[in-house]
Amino acid sequence: MISLRTAALLVAAVTLGSGPSYGQTYDGPRTPDGRPDLSGIWQVLGSAAWDLEAHNAQDGIPAGFSVVDGGTIPYTVDALNQRDRNRANRLTDDPVRRCYLPGVPRITYMPWPFRIVQTPDHLVLSYEYAHSLRIVYTDGSPHPLPNDFWMGDSRGHWDGDALVIDTTHFNGQTWLDASGNHHSSELHVVERFTPVTPYHINYEVTLEDPQTYTRAWTMRMPLYKRMEEGLRLLDYDCVDHLLNALVKDGETR
Amino acid sequence: MTETTTKHRIFLTGVALGLLLSPWAATAQDFDPAKTPWGDPDLRGHYLPGPYQALETPTSEWTPPEGTNRGQGAAFSRFFEPDPDAPARPRPARPDGPMIIDPPTGQVPFQPWAAEQRNEIMASQEQLEHLDPRVKCLPAAFPRAHLPVGYNTYQIEQGPGFVLMLYEWNHHSRYIPLDGSEHIDPALRLGMGDSRGRWDGNTLVVETRNFTDNTWPVGHGAPPEGAPGSALTTGHGVFHSGNLRVVEEFTFLDADTIQYTATLEDPEVFSQPWTLRYNALQRAPEDHMLFEYACHEGNGRNLSLMTGTAVEAGRVHPIP
Repeated sequence: MISLRTAALLVAAVTLGSGPSYGQTYDGPRTPDGRPDLSGIWQVLGSAAWDLEAHNAQDGIPAGFSVVDGGTIPYTVDALNQRDRNRANRLTDDPVRRCYLPGVPRITYMPWPFRIVQTPDHLVLSYEYAHSLRIVYTDGSPHPLPNDFWMGDSRGHWDGDALVIDTTHFNGQTWLDASGNHHSSELHVVERFTPVTPYHINYEVTLEDPQTYTRAWTMRMPLYKRMEEGLRLLDYDCVDHLLNALVKDGETR
Repeated sequence: MTETTTKHRIFLTGVALGLLLSPWAATAQDFDPAKTPWGDPDLRGHYLPGPYQALETPTSEWTPPEGTNRGQGAAFSRFFEPDPDAPARPRPARPDGPMIIDPPTGQVPFQPWAAEQRNEIMASQEQLEHLDPRVKCLPAAFPRAHLPVGYNTYQIEQGPGFVLMLYEWNHHSRYIPLDGSEHIDPALRLGMGDSRGRWDGNTLVVETRNFTDNTWPVGHGAPPEGAPGSALTTGHGVFHSGNLRVVEEFTFLDADTIQYTATLEDPEVFSQPWTLRYNALQRAPEDHMLFEYACHEGNGRNLSLMTGTAVEAGRVHPIP
């Protein structure tokens, strides 16, 4: 049993953690309801899209540090073997190369910008890559029907100045990067967006999937605000490029 | 129920009918919609598409075979049959007459060469190149993204200086600045175009350009097999050039209905600007939410069957 004193400390810790911005550094714009205003166009810099773990440059692939806490993803033995098979066949087996939706969190750190529109009870995240969309309710609603989705089902809440998004209901057909890092349909993703300045957000993602990993693990990287005046999301319609290539190659009858 | 209440109801019904029938019946101009805290007409919310309606007045004698779904998503209609257990949702009556209100013929004013090309496109629907772009999961463009299909719904977000429209079909969206800013560089092309908006009273006016040239700006679902383009009333095969310019107007007729007017201008393809109008957005029930509509993900085999092309073999993503 915990002592009253411990309980009081726990309550204090929770209160401090979820309270207003005292002691925190964020001094950027806020919405009328007092939340940090994350509206705008954001993008990750780095090479996590190619490989979440540390990797040397290859032809057309920039080198990169690991974004994974502890350096490597804690795969089960079978899942690590699967990762290695995926990696060997990545030019044909990566679902993104078939123009399938990239899933979460991969969509965040692909090398395309995305826009956040924020309302008091939900956020819309629209991505330039394949005009993907996420609608994130922050109204306390639970995950819905037993459907599964390429992009999962996202429900969010505010923990002080941090936006926390909980995503489940994946179909298990997406990867985490272009190097074969993967997950099952049991994946549970918790993304934590902690704004630090008006121009960057600390993005921290914890992934839990007992089918694939021996324990929950975390990746982290900054999101940077795109500051160009008049910037808007443009198109990367993967399907268009794929079908055009087929027509040009004369593969149609 | 007391006699007084009954009389009162009859009186009120009479007033309501009188309003409906009178020349002063509510019009797009005089309904005063709710306003946002920053004073703009409040478009925010979820909407369902309006009822099916023919786009054009048919020009040929061809009639679809018995049992044919007249281009209203024939391939999908069975899958999207209403759930018999779902609560009944009111659907407005299907209007007569074409959506095209100008020209008065109710037909797309193609230049002669373009009319021929439309028929050719419709005769080549087994070729990947000519197949309805929407069947290929390419962008719907405008006004097509607002034309009636049973598998699209809408969510509209709004803030000071912008409107964001979300389309369930193929997870499209468009961010419409209302800040008087210029369209993007004409060199840049977007499947859904570049939209800029402004308020004209209670009407949202949106001008869109910078389109690609590989979408159909109108058209519904799959056309009936063997139908010549000229027989269709769905807008199939209506192509456009990169010079397409679309001006749309969104006007509340009442709290739950948005009338939609779109004028299309493309001097390379059409002989004159043309205008369609219909009640495109009906407010959705409160429990409505947009689901993920992953279009291409389930479409490769479908396209292969339709066109004989090994779509699943395609690998184009630039990530090496």
